[in-house]
Amino acid sequence: MVESSATASTTAEPAPPRTRRWVALHGYNVRICHWINVIAGGYLLLSGIHIFLDFPELYWGHTGYQGYPAIFRLSDWGLSWDEAGELGNRMWGRNYHFTFAWVFLINGVIYAVWSAWTGHFRARLWPAREDLRASALSGELREHLRWSSPARTAATRYGTLQKLSYSFMVFVFVPLMLLTGLAQAPAFAAAWPWLLDLFGGRQTARTLHTIGTVVFVLFVVVHVLEVLLSGAVNRIRAMVTGRFRLPEEAQ
Amino acid sequence: MSERRAGITRRRMLVSVPALGGLLVTGCSDTFRPPVVRSGLIGAADVLTMSTSRWLQADQPLAREYGREHIAPEFPTWGQTNPDDERYQQHVSEQFRHWALPVGGLVEQPRSFSLADIKALPVRTQITAHVCEQGWSAIAEWVGAPLSLLLEAAGGVKPEARYVVFHAVDGWYESIDMFEVVHPQTILAYGLNGEELPVGNGAPLRLRVERQCGYKNIKFIQSIEVVDSLAGIRRGTGGLSSDFGFHWFGGV
Repeated sequence: MVESSATASTTAEPAPPRTRRWVALHGYNVRICHWINVIAGGYLLLSGIHIFLDFPELYWGHTGYQGYPAIFRLSDWGLSWDEAGELGNRMWGRNYHFTFAWVFLINGVIYAVWSAWTGHFRARLWPAREDLRASALSGELREHLRWSSPARTAATRYGTLQKLSYSFMVFVFVPLMLLTGLAQAPAFAAAWPWLLDLFGGRQTARTLHTIGTVVFVLFVVVHVLEVLLSGAVNRIRAMVTGRFRLPEEAQ
Repeated sequence: MSERRAGITRRRMLVSVPALGGLLVTGCSDTFRPPVVRSGLIGAADVLTMSTSRWLQADQPLAREYGREHIAPEFPTWGQTNPDDERYQQHVSEQFRHWALPVGGLVEQPRSFSLADIKALPVRTQITAHVCEQGWSAIAEWVGAPLSLLLEAAGGVKPEARYVVFHAVDGWYESIDMFEVVHPQTILAYGLNGEELPVGNGAPLRLRVERQCGYKNIKFIQSIEVVDSLAGIRRGTGGLSSDFGFHWFGGV
């Protein structure tokens, strides 16, 4: 219901009535799930780093141990095995990683069911066909390279690049992180042996899971940067209260 | 797959009836919940993790077994690699000829097993991946006696049996529930990659519980105890790793 009012306001673009300075931008579900995600994602990242630091090497295939040919060694980048071990606490990391994996998963399932049910995915997240035309994409890319713009500060719907990155995170990244995580767990690998075949071994799954962590950090950095460049206060307030203040130009 | 399931059914039939009774009656909640549920969100997640894993493993699947070509060039030694214990060192020098494993608690006929007794039990050989909770994994060939058959040789377990506790020479201890005990890949290994189990890997006997992480695969086993509750044992959490703060269920 909140969602439909938000969609209504976006379809009313580009000229909302002069009297309306505020629009309902984000529904309850989006806001609650977003902030739970911030907490769960933060803990997953921190605890994941702890787990990694306790064994800071990556391998490919089924087998990998200290002394086995590695594809990545933290010690090659200036942090020795012992120094990394001092920083990382895998017990704390494992406890919190699995706890917040559940928080993240349950939150994500609620978000996904709600979004599919209300049409949020289709209306807001999934790029429309005309969004994907080369001219539209290059136009948007050029605009992003200009760093900040009034149009983006006033935007009440997601841009195509934004839709593509959100859709990638929801439909590709999260499922892959979940599966590469489960493939590392002996109980799940026994129940679902296809997990090991899918990724070609536990160490490959672990490596992909770590690469995924880097992708997650990049996503967060770009996401926060975009918020800062498009009216940080207004954007963050909209994600808290749901209401977005239209800038003067847009009124 | 059907072949594997048939194998498990045969094994299950070999396991004493009381053990199965324990699994089905009192063992129901044990299968889905750790013996001690930790407080807060972490405890809730523990129960979710264990019950989900066990629900997916309801048909007792085997952990993946690999071909010989996948065996790792070496098998790492980790943690305790040579217990500083006079009697243990004596056993090492005697090639464990006078070593004996007491099996007690809730078994019908408590008794001791020499290494030769254990080797005389039906042999199971499995090439599996050891999955360390720290992050490493290595594929190796293990040779040993199925735990369920060892318990059967001690007369089978009593109906109230719920956990099997393993005590190691160096003071380490761990426990597993009946769901893992009856599994055919749960073996007491005395051979690694075609040789006697080396001291660094837990000679003369270590547990292989293939669907759980490395820390549950206790080395240097000195005695085995079948219990109905873990409450009175050490700090009561069911293992030294869970005493430290690791999840008792090592499936993830």
